[in-house]
Formats: sequence, C-alpha cells, structure tokens
Amino acid sequence: MECRVLSIQSHVVRGYVGNKSASFPLQVLGFEVDSINSVQFSNHTGYSHWKGQVLTADELHVLYQGIKLNNVHQYDYVLTGYTRDTSFLEMVVDIVQELKRANPNLVYVCDPVLGDHGSMVMDLLHAMGPDTVVITSSDLPSRLGDRFLVSLGSQRHVRPDGSRTTQRVRMEVHKVDAVFVGTGDLFAAMLLAWTHHYPNDLKMACEKTFSVMHHVIQRTISYAHELAGPGRRPSPPQLELRMVQSKADIEDPAIVMEAIVLS
Amino acid sequence: ILLGSWFVVISVMECRVLSIQSHVVRGYVGNKSATFPLQVLGFEVDSINSVQFSNHTGYAHWKGQVLTAEELNELYEGIKLNKVNHYDYILTGYSRDTSFLEMVVDIIKELKEANPSLVYVCDPVMGDHGAMYVPEYLLPVYRDKVVPLADILTPNQFEAELLTGRKITTEEDAVEVMDLLHKMGPKTVVLTSSDLPSKRGDQFLVALGSQTIVKPDGTNTSQKICIDIPKVDAVFVGTGDLFAALLLAWTHHHPKDLKAACEKTVSVMHHVIKRTITYAHELAGPGKRPSPAQLELRMVQSKADIENPAIVVEAKVLQKSSH
Repeated sequence: MECRVLSIQSHVVRGYVGNKSASFPLQVLGFEVDSINSVQFSNHTGYSHWKGQVLTADELHVLYQGIKLNNVHQYDYVLTGYTRDTSFLEMVVDIVQELKRANPNLVYVCDPVLGDHGSMVMDLLHAMGPDTVVITSSDLPSRLGDRFLVSLGSQRHVRPDGSRTTQRVRMEVHKVDAVFVGTGDLFAAMLLAWTHHYPNDLKMACEKTFSVMHHVIQRTISYAHELAGPGRRPSPPQLELRMVQSKADIEDPAIVMEAIVLS
Repeated sequence: ILLGSWFVVISVMECRVLSIQSHVVRGYVGNKSATFPLQVLGFEVDSINSVQFSNHTGYAHWKGQVLTAEELNELYEGIKLNKVNHYDYILTGYSRDTSFLEMVVDIIKELKEANPSLVYVCDPVMGDHGAMYVPEYLLPVYRDKVVPLADILTPNQFEAELLTGRKITTEEDAVEVMDLLHKMGPKTVVLTSSDLPSKRGDQFLVALGSQTIVKPDGTNTSQKICIDIPKVDAVFVGTGDLFAALLLAWTHHHPKDLKAACEKTVSVMHHVIKRTITYAHELAGPGKRPSPAQLELRMVQSKADIENPAIVVEAKVLQKSSH
C-alpha cells in the first residue's frame, strides 16, 4: 500500500494524545505518516502538571515550505485534531487547500475538537462539505440503557447513474467509567485507515474503528486498575492508552459491535 | 476427549525508553527512525524532539526549528513534576549543541539516580570517513562527560578514534580501542563500521563488538565479535539511528550475548536496507541514481522483519581475553 498521511497534531513526550496517538496505529497498518507537531508538551493537560512549547503559525508555514521546496508535498490524506489558536488553524486551512490543489483526490479527515455539544446536525454538516460525518458520541438515549452511549455516522455517495444516496449508521457503545485522553485522536486515525479500506461501506469502517477502540480501552482500563490497586481511582499516567500493547488488535481487530444501518 | 490443557503465557514487556533525538516531518532519521521499531517490539517510547525539521539535511532544502537547552529542561521538569521520570533506557544520537548536550548529561545523571539499573545507549555522532560533521568542540563534551555515562556505545571507526585518540589500522587496534572505550565507561561497545579489510572481499565492511562481563569469581572478561556486512552502493540517512534503537532492543533480549544481539540487529538493518534500495531504484528508473527522498528507509513496510528478523549474518567470536 502506498498511502501517505500528513498529520498535524500535538506531540507529548509521554503518553498517547495527538500525533502520539495517531502515528503508531497508522504506521502499523502500513500508512506512511508525515507528522507536524503543533506543540511539544511533557504530557497531556489532564495530569497535575504539564510543560512545553507551542508551534506558531509562522513556524508551521516554514515546515510546510521545506516539504514544498523539495517537491514532496503530495499526500493522500490530511489529519488534524485539537487546536487552540485561530491563526494556526487558518494556516492549516491554507496548507490543506494547497495540498488539495496538488492532489484533488486528497481526503481531509478533520476532528473538529470543540468540546461536547451533543446536537445532531448530520445533513447540515454534509452541506458544509464533508461526505463522511461521524458523530463520535452523543447524549441521545441508547436503546440498551444508560450504560451505553450513541454514536452516529453518515456517508454520502454518488451512484453510477449520478443520483445521490446516503448511508446512515447507528452504534450503541459501551460506556467506561474513566476519563481517557487521546481516544478521539486514535478514533480519527483509525477511521482514516478503515474508510481507506472500505470507502463505500461506512458500516464496516465504523465496526472496525469502534472495535479497535473497544480493545484498546479495555486493555487500558484493566491495566490502570491493576496499577492503581483495588478501590482506587487510576491516575492520568495510569490511564495512558496501552497503545504498543494493542498492536495485534490494531492490525486485525476482532469485530465486537454492530453498526445498525438506518433507513 | 480432554487431551490436556495448553497454557499460553503471554508476558507483556514493561520497558520504558526515553529517546532524545531529532524529529523530521517527512522521512526516517532520529526519533522517526528509532520510535516505530521500538514500539513495534513492545517498548514504551517517550520521545523528546531536539529539533523539528521538514526533512533531513541531505535533501536539496530543509527548514525547521531547534529546541534550546532551556526548553529541553522545561520538558524534563514536566515529566519530573508528575513523578513519571522513571526509565529503563535512554537513547541519544545526533546533537550539534554543547549546552544541549550538557543538559542531556544532567538529565541522564538524574535519571540514573532515580533508577540505578537504567541503561544509557549512546550513539556519539561526530563524523565519518575522517571528517567531523559536528562542531569540533563537541568532542571533549562527548569524551569527558557523555561517554562515561554510557552503558552501550555505537561509534563508527572515526568516532572511536576521536574518543580514544588512537588510530585503527588492524583488527588488533580495533580490539585495543574497544578496551580503551570500556575503561571510559560503556560495558558494551559496537564499532558500527570500519575500513578494516574483510576476509570476504571488498564488497563487505567489517563491524566489531565488545562486551565486558563479570565472571562468578568477580574477575572481568570480555566477549569480542566481528561481523562482515555486505556493502550497499548508496548513501542512507537514518540507518545509524535505526541501528542504535535495534541494538537497544536486542541487547535487552540478549543482555549477555552480544553475538546474538548483533546478528539480529545487523539482520534487520540488512532487510530494511535491501527493501529500501530496491524500491528506490524502482522509483528512480533504470540507470538513474535515486534521490534522497527516494532513499528514505522503507520503515513501515519492514514491520515483519523488525518483529521477527530472519538471521542473515553470522558474527564471529574473537578469542576471549581476561584482565
């Protein structure tokens, strides 16, 4: 497989968020990953302490210029996540626009990290641009009860005869009683990988993606509880995703949940 | 019918590496070269990026930013404040800056106090083929401050000569230089390449290794090995960084068997380099020299070789010596 991803996300020295969360699983699945680190922090901001440095919009531009001057700015995918800075985000937009001109088939996977709003706006979002939208979590009531949250996906296709169709899927995802960091970044990276392998089958792509998330999270929470000891809440360091230990699940996830196709 | 029970014990390795090296957006040098193979082999890798460049400096153009010694200290402080400054290994490579290198030394000293069993794998990157490609004033910092802390050292012939002040023209010279390096600190020394003539002809280069072991009676002995490595007609970048990372991994699994550790390390290098040169020639086309971009290591494509390398070289054990 010759597939190159440009991922513009945070780097943490320790732990799994941003590029640390996205790169290893994509590489394990055979993607070439070029990564621009938007920040370098000691660890994620859920720990008691964190220290580090941020990349400015100008510095981002300089790095991109280097890639462009060498004429190697051809990417199949761009992946972005958490940003705090408008000028940085606007530079990202400029870069993505240029990369799309260099390769009109480029797929931009965007996790619009804004915080939790919980509103259902699938068609509005399609109208704004993306052909594939996954609402990774919502407050909608699950038919399986309050131990589950609801995720939704929607993908627009153009049929051979030119007519449009939309596939909508719904997943009931088992809640886990812990705060994980980096899971959204892992989710976006895995959705990139699995929609690459199943570009017209959102049901399959979501089942694989959510299954990988399940295996990584289960392994993480088990280990965290071992470390913390009985009756104690695990700390942020103890809750870091068990990423390298989950390599086999990343490579070939056993499917553990079903995406229901909505009519 | 119950024929018996199979018990499969899968032990998960808990081993944390701190790697302080360059980051490139595109390609495989520094942390980009070291991290993926170590993670694939099950190591937790914490990485401090000493620079962020678009690509390595062998391309026509390169752009980016460097980390200052203060910024390095800041990142380390964050780790320390959270009380997660416990590492089993440290790995360092290319550096251009004395104050940065001196901050690295301070950090390693502190980490060794936190964990006296910590193993520092040091690639003393200074130059090759008789010429330095870092500022000259880095040599005394490596010689006097860095190498004494190292447990595993991976100099090439030129770097070994610089550190010891001795020239290597024969295998005996190489053995003497490795013993001198042991006296400076590291128990394990691998001369990653040399100009020594190979018995297998001029299509091969000679690498050597030496590991001191304490015998049950308390005296020191050393295992010395040499390996003939097939030469490849191309300039690769990032291979030294990959070598040091792999040597870390394989000496972890074979802590008292340098022969086995080196055979695995050199074998992986061989598979990655072969895959890379083949692909580079495909991209370049017949009769054309591949470009730096085309010669980037085929790292993710080599995952299976990294995980489970077919052994394609044999290290020869040289006569053991006791002191």
